[in-house]
Amino acid sequence: MPVSRRVIATAAALCFATAAAFAQNPAPRASLRTTNAPPKPTGTTPRTADGHPDLTGVWNGLGDNLNGVPNQIANNGIAIESETLARDLHSGQIVTVFPRLNNRALNNEQAERAAALLRRSGSNRPIYKPEYWDMVKYNDHNANEEDPSNNCMPAGIPRGAIPSYIAQCPSHVMFVYPGQGGLIATQTMYRMIPTDGRKHTPLQELDGTYTGESIAHWEGDTLVVDSLGFNANTWFDQIGGYMHGENMHVVERFKRDGNTLTWTVTVEDPDYLLEPWTSTPRVALLNPNPSAMLPESQPCSERDLAHIVTKEHH
Amino acid sequence: MRALLALSLVAVPLLASAHHSIQAQFDIYKTIQVTGTVARMEFINPHSYLTVNVKEADGKVTKWAFEMTGLAGLRRAGLSRADRGGLKAGDALTVIALAARDGSNSGLAQELKMGDGRVFKLLADAPDAPPATSR
Repeated sequence: MPVSRRVIATAAALCFATAAAFAQNPAPRASLRTTNAPPKPTGTTPRTADGHPDLTGVWNGLGDNLNGVPNQIANNGIAIESETLARDLHSGQIVTVFPRLNNRALNNEQAERAAALLRRSGSNRPIYKPEYWDMVKYNDHNANEEDPSNNCMPAGIPRGAIPSYIAQCPSHVMFVYPGQGGLIATQTMYRMIPTDGRKHTPLQELDGTYTGESIAHWEGDTLVVDSLGFNANTWFDQIGGYMHGENMHVVERFKRDGNTLTWTVTVEDPDYLLEPWTSTPRVALLNPNPSAMLPESQPCSERDLAHIVTKEHH
Repeated sequence: MRALLALSLVAVPLLASAHHSIQAQFDIYKTIQVTGTVARMEFINPHSYLTVNVKEADGKVTKWAFEMTGLAGLRRAGLSRADRGGLKAGDALTVIALAARDGSNSGLAQELKMGDGRVFKLLADAPDAPPATSR
C-alpha cells in the first residue's frame, strides 16, 4: 500500500537518528474495536543513550482509522470495558449499561445520543468561576456552531492530547498530530519542543498560538511539557464547551511503560477556572508494527455545518 | 429514559462517525436515489465527498453532494483509485443516500450502483451494520 511519508520525513529530517527505525509499511489493519478501556502495557521500555525512556514511535496502536488518531477523542474519562459495562475512570464507578440494538437506523440514532450522554457522564470536570457557568453550558449545548475545532481549525493543546507520532532527539522532541475527521474536523498540528533546559519567553512577549510555547524536562522517567502563550480559539477538551483564556498554562506528563504511553494534563487558567484541573490519564498504544509509518492525513474541508438543522451533536 | 439507548456509543466515533450528529443533518428514515455521472471524488476530512452531475429534463446540469464514510470505510468498500476499482469522473451511477433534512441537493451515501454493474455498499460506519463489500 503506497503511503505518503511527508510528515514523518519532515520529523525524521529533524531527528535523523531515529529515522532509520522506520520502514515503509503500516501495520495490517486490526479489527474494529468495540471497547476502549486503557490498554495494559507489555514489553520493555527502551531508553536513549542519555538514559531517558525513549518515547519515539507511532502511538496509534489503538487507531481505528488509517491515521490512527483517536488518541484525541478516546475515553473522555470513560472506559467502555465490554458491551455491557462502562466505567468512569476518575471515580471507578460503573456509569451506565446499555443494550445494543440490531436495527441499524435506530442503532445509529440511539447510539449517537447514548454516546453524547455517556461522554458527559464522567465525574472529572473543570470547575469554572460561577460567572462563566452559563457560557460553558451554552457552548456545549450549541457545539455545532460554537466548537472552534468543528470547522477544520487546529484542536490546540491540550485537546490534541497524545500525538500520533513522537521523535525524541537529544535536544528536543517532535510531536505530530494528524488532522482528522471522525468526531471533529481538525487540521494537522506539530510541536517541536526543546529539552535543552531553556526557559519560557515571558508571556507578554508571546503572540497567542494554538499550541503555545512549550518547553520540556525530565522528572525521573516522566517527560514534563510546560506550555503557555496560547490564543483563546480552542477548547481544552473534546466535550463540555471548555473554553479558556490567553493566560492558560498547561502542564502535560508523558510516561512510557513498555508499549503504552500515559498522558495526564493539568490546566491552569486564572481568568476562567477556580482551580487547576487535572485530566483523567489517557493511555496510547504503540503501533504493533515496528516498521509502522504515519500516513498522510487528508486535508480538511468542512461542508456540513450549513446543512445541520438541529442542535444534536456528540 | 428507556433502555433503548445503545452501547455502540463511544464505539461510534471510533468507527468513523460524523463530526456532527448524523440525524442532525440527514433523515435516517428517508432514502433517496439520484442518477447522474461522477463529477469528482474527494478523499478529505472530516468526511469524503462525492459530487455527482445530474442532468435535468431541460438539459441543465445540477450538482449533488454526497457525504461519504471515512477513508478506511471507503477502502473497505472497495473505493480507491479509479484503476483499482474506484470511481472516475464521467462514470454513470445511481447513488442511494439518506436525504438531507434541509432539502438541499445532498445526502449521506449508503450505496453506489455503477452503470457497469458494480455496486459499492457504504454501511460500515455502524458497528452493527453488515460488513461492507464490493463486487
